[in-house]
Amino acid sequence: MTTSEPVVPSIRPPAWRRPPVVFSGLGLLTLILLVINVAVGSIPYSLAEIWHVLLNPREDSITNTIIWNIRIPRAIAAAFGGAYLAASGLLLQIYFRNPIVGPFILGISSGASLMVSIVMLTTVTVGWTLFTPFMSTLAAFVGAYGVMLIVLAIASRIQGGVTLLIVGLMMGYLCGAVTAILTALAEKDKIKGFVLWQLGSFSGFKWDEIWILLIFGGCILTLLYLQSKPLNAFLLGEEYAASMGVNIRHFRLLILLCACALAGMITSMAGPVAFIGMAVPHMARLSFGTSDNRILIPGACLMGALVTSLCDLIARTALAPVELPLSAITAFFGAPIVIALLLKRRVKL
Amino acid sequence: MNTATVQPILSARDLSVGYNKTPVLSGLDFDCEAGQFISLLGPNGAGKTTLLRTLSRHLAPLAGAITLHNKSLDTLPAMDLARTMAVVLTDKIVPPLFTVFEFVTLGRYPHTDYLGRLNSEDQKIVTQSLAAVHALDLAGRPFSDLSDGERQKVLVARALAQEPFLLLLDEPTIHLDLKHRVEVMAILRDLCRDKGITVIASLHDVDVAAKVSDQVALIKDGGLLDWGAPEAVLTPEAVSGLYDFSKAEFNRHLGGIELRGEGNRGRAFVVAGMGTGSLVYRMLAKKGFAIATGVVHTNDLDYYVAQSLGADCITTPPLEAINGTSTNLAATLMDSCDFVIDSGFAVSTGNQANMTLLHTALERGKTVFTLRGDVLESPAANSDNRFIRCTTTTQLIAALDAFPKRNAAHQVQEA
Repeated sequence: MTTSEPVVPSIRPPAWRRPPVVFSGLGLLTLILLVINVAVGSIPYSLAEIWHVLLNPREDSITNTIIWNIRIPRAIAAAFGGAYLAASGLLLQIYFRNPIVGPFILGISSGASLMVSIVMLTTVTVGWTLFTPFMSTLAAFVGAYGVMLIVLAIASRIQGGVTLLIVGLMMGYLCGAVTAILTALAEKDKIKGFVLWQLGSFSGFKWDEIWILLIFGGCILTLLYLQSKPLNAFLLGEEYAASMGVNIRHFRLLILLCACALAGMITSMAGPVAFIGMAVPHMARLSFGTSDNRILIPGACLMGALVTSLCDLIARTALAPVELPLSAITAFFGAPIVIALLLKRRVKL
Repeated sequence: MNTATVQPILSARDLSVGYNKTPVLSGLDFDCEAGQFISLLGPNGAGKTTLLRTLSRHLAPLAGAITLHNKSLDTLPAMDLARTMAVVLTDKIVPPLFTVFEFVTLGRYPHTDYLGRLNSEDQKIVTQSLAAVHALDLAGRPFSDLSDGERQKVLVARALAQEPFLLLLDEPTIHLDLKHRVEVMAILRDLCRDKGITVIASLHDVDVAAKVSDQVALIKDGGLLDWGAPEAVLTPEAVSGLYDFSKAEFNRHLGGIELRGEGNRGRAFVVAGMGTGSLVYRMLAKKGFAIATGVVHTNDLDYYVAQSLGADCITTPPLEAINGTSTNLAATLMDSCDFVIDSGFAVSTGNQANMTLLHTALERGKTVFTLRGDVLESPAANSDNRFIRCTTTTQLIAALDAFPKRNAAHQVQEA
């Protein structure tokens, strides 16, 4: 080896791909979309009206109610929901080292659907009037986290991502089978409601839910960001990560726990929103030009917030007053991107 | 081997390794000293990878103990282990959107802060690691665009960025072209010599292992067959036994494997010497001829090659002129052969008798193929085309391919 100081060639990315530029751009666009989401709807509001309502939250008017209790919660829910789904998808793509993995690959959404189908399609819960307004949220919560606990229990016993992936898929099929039987036995008019729930929606968020979303999700995201160093090591696979000093046993469970907790939280509140979790991490990787999770975790969150806000806006406005199912819009948006990426083969993770 | 005065960097005592309580290898005892290149040799599936994965603590030992710097491996904190030992695995990993430099910085993991930020010292060590594997020019390239050979060098650089004392490599030269195979082995050897890093690598090339290693471990049949300097351990018998050869032989003087032929196309007698026979022997073995040769000195290259190819060889001691006794033996052996090849050896006083042998061959009615450029007087032979002149080995091959047609009758008589 030479003793003189070797010179490393410059490896800075082109200016438009540098993280600060991309972050500012995405941040600005997300902010604009948030404002549009508050302004646009069956009753459109001008910026001045919104500004007035924001400055006078205690004022008692219809405008105030619509903006504070309907538009803003929905805009925030869509942005944060998208962010969390993207983060969850990013984690699972790293965990399984597989590009077509999304947050629901381990059966989270199927578990939630199963429990919600029991509530919505059967008469098991008739008489539990105390819980009625939150019944489907509660049921989805139980279903999503029930599946998560089973997956974690299995993951702590077995090695190897592929086995876990197959176990997750099988859990999904099992839950799906029960849901299908319940659907077949259900009354016609109940089925439409259930089908629409399965396609996801950020409407009807209450402030209580928003606070849970912000505080609980914020804690998980902070925890995740602090794990970006071992996550980077994990890009080389478990064995290399272990050889660099990552405690694989604990780390695997932590990653699964965070990913499932984020996806489960969104699913219980908004239903299974498809494609965001799978497509957005790819879009983030491409726009930031890196796999470095110190950039990608916040990057994917921002990209998820932007894309989901946009999809929600389209869902609400495209065929207004009819609201389109959110998963239909995200799929229109996400599927071509996933296909293009796989054909281009530039991004393998 | 336990009497070493040098402190071993890694020791195994009565070690058993395997999966799911089924031992693959057991009763392993060995010590690795600092700065040594240690090769693990053995057939596929013998347990080389299992042993490496146990030494890197990815698998728990089934029994016995491993100590690293006199500390027990299983209680060592993960970060301490990562600063002591680095690995290069066979898994084909292609993390997307990493430059080579960024990829190598991942190796700084056990040295950086909780967010993995690099200081100038880290940058310097990453640069030095790339320089040590001659890959500085790759620093700005995307990792996913590298060829197999370049990727392997960068994987070694990543391991070096951990600043380990011990480097474990699983088949570091598999899938590499010749240039990179040689380069990677040279890099690993330099790491031992210049940086005092202990390298433990599973290798599939015995000849490369023999030339590079300080110690070789022969692994087969659930245990360590032998451990020691390759010069002592790698006997032709040991290598043949290790890999269950029957049609080939490892020659430690030549440092390579010689492949024996089928020997079913008739038997050739090669009059050789001074290394001129080696290529002819190998060509004959490859083409399926049985080989007899003589008279060669026992310090001649031809002697070693002929031995490894299992040729019948009439010899004479070094520095002695070839005398009548050995030429008579050679002439008798020649009688049982289907044809004779003259390798075109230079004539001196020591091997004058081999020229006589060629003339004897012609007199006894043998067909003689010669690679000799200058004249060999034999008017009698020329009359019925029994003296065939070839200027290159290619011509000789063509002449031999044409020859068996005449020879068929001879074989029928024998039957």
